[in-house]
Amino acid sequence: MYLTVCDATKTYGNFTALDRVSIEIEKGEFVCLLGPSGCGKTTLLRLIAGLTDLDGGEISLEGSPLSDLPARKRGFGIVFQSYSLFPNMTIAENIGYGLKIRGAPNEEINARVTDLLALVKLPHLADNFPGQLSGGQQQRIALARAIAVDPRVLLLDEPLSALDAKVRAELRDEIRQVQRSLGIPTLMVTHDQEEALALADKIICMNHGVVVQAGTPEELYHRPATRFVAEFMGISNLLSAEQVERHYPDLLATRPSSESAYLACIRPEQIGVTPDEDGMSSVRSISFLGNLRRLEVDTPGGPLLVETHGANPCQEGTRVSLNIQPHACTWVIDDAAQHATSPA
Amino acid sequence: MSVADQNTRDEARGGLDADRLLTLACVGLPLIGLILFFAYPMAIVFLRSITVGESYGLGNYAEVLGSSGFWRATRHSLIMGGATTALSVLLGFVIAHGLYRCAFPGKWIIRSVIVLPLLAPSLVQALGLIFLLGRNGVVSRALGVEIEIYGFWGLLIANTLYALPQAVMIIGAALVLLDARTYEAAEVMGASPWRQFRDLTIPAARFGILNAAFVCFTVTITDFGNAAVIGGDYSVLATEIYSQVVGQRNFNMGAVVGIMLLLPTVISYTIERQAMKRQRAGQATGQVAYRPSFAPLRDLSMASLSLLICAGIVGVIGIVVYASFVKLWPYNMALSTKHYDITLAGGYSSLWMTIVISLAAAAGGTLAVFLLALGLRRLPPAVAQPIQILAAMPAAVPGMVLGLAYILTFNSTATPLYLLYGSAALIAIVNFYHYHTQGFLTVMTGFRQLPQALEEAAGSLGAGLARSARDVVAPFIAPMLVSVFFFLFMRSMVTLSAVVFLTTPDLSVAAVTIMRLDDAGLTSQAAAFSTCVMAVVCVAVLFMKVTLALMGRRTRAKGEA
Ligand SMILES: Nc1ncnc2c1ncn2[C@@H]1O[C@H](COP(=O)(O)OP(=O)(O)OP(=O)(O)O)[C@@H](O)[C@H]1O
Ligand SMILES: [Mg+2]
Repeated sequence: MYLTVCDATKTYGNFTALDRVSIEIEKGEFVCLLGPSGCGKTTLLRLIAGLTDLDGGEISLEGSPLSDLPARKRGFGIVFQSYSLFPNMTIAENIGYGLKIRGAPNEEINARVTDLLALVKLPHLADNFPGQLSGGQQQRIALARAIAVDPRVLLLDEPLSALDAKVRAELRDEIRQVQRSLGIPTLMVTHDQEEALALADKIICMNHGVVVQAGTPEELYHRPATRFVAEFMGISNLLSAEQVERHYPDLLATRPSSESAYLACIRPEQIGVTPDEDGMSSVRSISFLGNLRRLEVDTPGGPLLVETHGANPCQEGTRVSLNIQPHACTWVIDDAAQHATSPA
Repeated sequence: MSVADQNTRDEARGGLDADRLLTLACVGLPLIGLILFFAYPMAIVFLRSITVGESYGLGNYAEVLGSSGFWRATRHSLIMGGATTALSVLLGFVIAHGLYRCAFPGKWIIRSVIVLPLLAPSLVQALGLIFLLGRNGVVSRALGVEIEIYGFWGLLIANTLYALPQAVMIIGAALVLLDARTYEAAEVMGASPWRQFRDLTIPAARFGILNAAFVCFTVTITDFGNAAVIGGDYSVLATEIYSQVVGQRNFNMGAVVGIMLLLPTVISYTIERQAMKRQRAGQATGQVAYRPSFAPLRDLSMASLSLLICAGIVGVIGIVVYASFVKLWPYNMALSTKHYDITLAGGYSSLWMTIVISLAAAAGGTLAVFLLALGLRRLPPAVAQPIQILAAMPAAVPGMVLGLAYILTFNSTATPLYLLYGSAALIAIVNFYHYHTQGFLTVMTGFRQLPQALEEAAGSLGAGLARSARDVVAPFIAPMLVSVFFFLFMRSMVTLSAVVFLTTPDLSVAAVTIMRLDDAGLTSQAAAFSTCVMAVVCVAVLFMKVTLALMGRRTRAKGEA
């Protein structure tokens, strides 16, 4: 294990921002920290960077604890959401600053800056000042600056969230490429599940200051452990045990225990739909989403969302029958029972 | 087109015309004021400076440039300006750095002490120094040494105390521009605190320091009060103008010296404005405020230095208050209030008069800058720009020069404006135009923060200029207006340089009375009178704080509702 955070706890007054959080990052791994606003992602990232002090627990790198090491001695790289370039330095000086601090000779710094500017595809901006760059360009430079010193860990705090959708998608791919080619262990904070799914080797899903589930994108999407994760990772149909018993009894086989605290989670693209004159269900509405269609289907067991690709013969009002394979159903713990919200 | 349509269109057009008229009135009235009470008098000073006998010529300039007294005063002004600037920028940086980049408790003490010199007439610093370090000063007597406080050193300290608050504010404003993330990025990259200071803090403060230097320089070479009280034989340009005009009744020569004094202030003001623009363009405002963490060596030294400077300020001003209650300084230190019986002719009447004048200047001035700023927004830039430049010019003119311009303009029977001469109204007017720039720029800043969309929304709902001014604009910038009102009031209460020429035996203002008392050797009474002025200004500050707090609470309550 390369970087480990063990039982990290952080409180502000009597508010617990992080409650015994443990995570692990392997060498070369790209890990996304995912969760809703205010769940403690930034706090955790800052603890790892050394910008905030731990109240409990331990962070260690390759087995040696980091607690007594100030941020500037950790040798990490960090990129913030925005506005962190040094306004009084040129782009080249910004990128070379870390090396300059380490006393690298000028030729080496210049060569490295040139390489990095080429890597982030902005070689012509070397002598500009940050104020003259667009948001996307600034973030590219911030990334180049962070990796200039071959950081032991790269920390990214929502580096893309201040950018518009197109730039964001572009930069997302670039970050991934750069990280892959250099093999820097990376922890990126985001509250955009799509971003996390596209980038991460491993996703750590947080809520209210605790880790709810950690795993590969596939695992989190297809095998969410709790209702929170299921809902956060995309659209799902959540059915109570009674509903399943009454209407889809063959799904019960996979239920871990007979407790009713479990809900059945079925992703909409896992449901097969065929037009059927004698079907028990009917299509209430169809929304066209480009590459797919989302149907809202009225079934005897309540409304379900279904997604289909390609041509579809269904119209609004068409009678249909649904087909749900037992393996398409995941049983999740209902951790949000108090504020029940079902996907519309 | 239906009849109804036609009607609404006509109405709309009528509304537009009324609107345009209102815009014209908004801009027109303050503009006439600016021309009549700023541009015209300034032109008169210039004309008088080149008036020789019945014709025009450069004879006066030749005479002034040929006199050794002028060169000595110029040299003194420049040396004094330079020395004060260096000292106050250095100390100002220490305090601003302590306030915004260090972590220690009790910053509010430093914040409140540092503005004290602005709340008193500038000659209070000089008075305080005399009570501390003069022949009968507490320090001189305690140490048993004779300190020659009149002259260069006394003036340097007094001017530094006076310029320091502005240096702190300007440098502080530049320091807070740097975002916390910038420092954290540097920290993670491995920069030591010293490197962060050298590579981030200093460059960020560069324009602020430059700016502060120009402001301090201008404030110093144009100040009259300190030079008059503690300057002694160290003549400077401001005292030179005074002695030309009041001593020798030589108005044309006074005008020449005034124009000479105008040169450096105009240059430094222009550069300062440019520097400010660069600073604003250089960096978006900080997104996350920097929260320094405690570093013992840095913070303890900064805190003790700042506190030491503050102790100096409190000492100098406090001793004036204390001395005003002492029976017979320094022989009988028993307390009494006998110095509050002002024996000079007129007694306290000038204090009451100053309050009335200050209220008038504040009320009229606030209204004028508000109307001007409001109207300017609706004018095409080609028209608005020159007016804006004119409105920002008075700050470049030293009070002495403005006062001289007024006496030359209004003490002449050539125009009906003569009627204003010797009236309290004229003093209120000179005070307002003396501080016109600061008031105007504050309101303009307020307007710039007003989202254009808000006004447009009101406009599209059918609100004309008058309505949108009352319902949308005024509440939004009301706190700005309150600040401008109290700023004008407080400056009018304590200013000396512009009004010193305009007072008459029947009509005096507080700062002039203090100078007269000091001239007459009634130093303790001068201290008592100063204490009264400071008390009035402190009450005004209190009023301002309460008003702003109440307004803040009201808007918040509205926001939540
Ligand atoms: N310095 C602080 N003082 C007090 N509370 C804080 C402080 N910093 C963070 N918090 C609180 O800790 C909680 C977690 O904050 P954090 O910034 O880690 O959230 P986040 O997951 O990064 O959210 P976002 O997605 O909005 O950035 C929040 O409720 C926040 O209000
Ligand atoms: Mg965050």
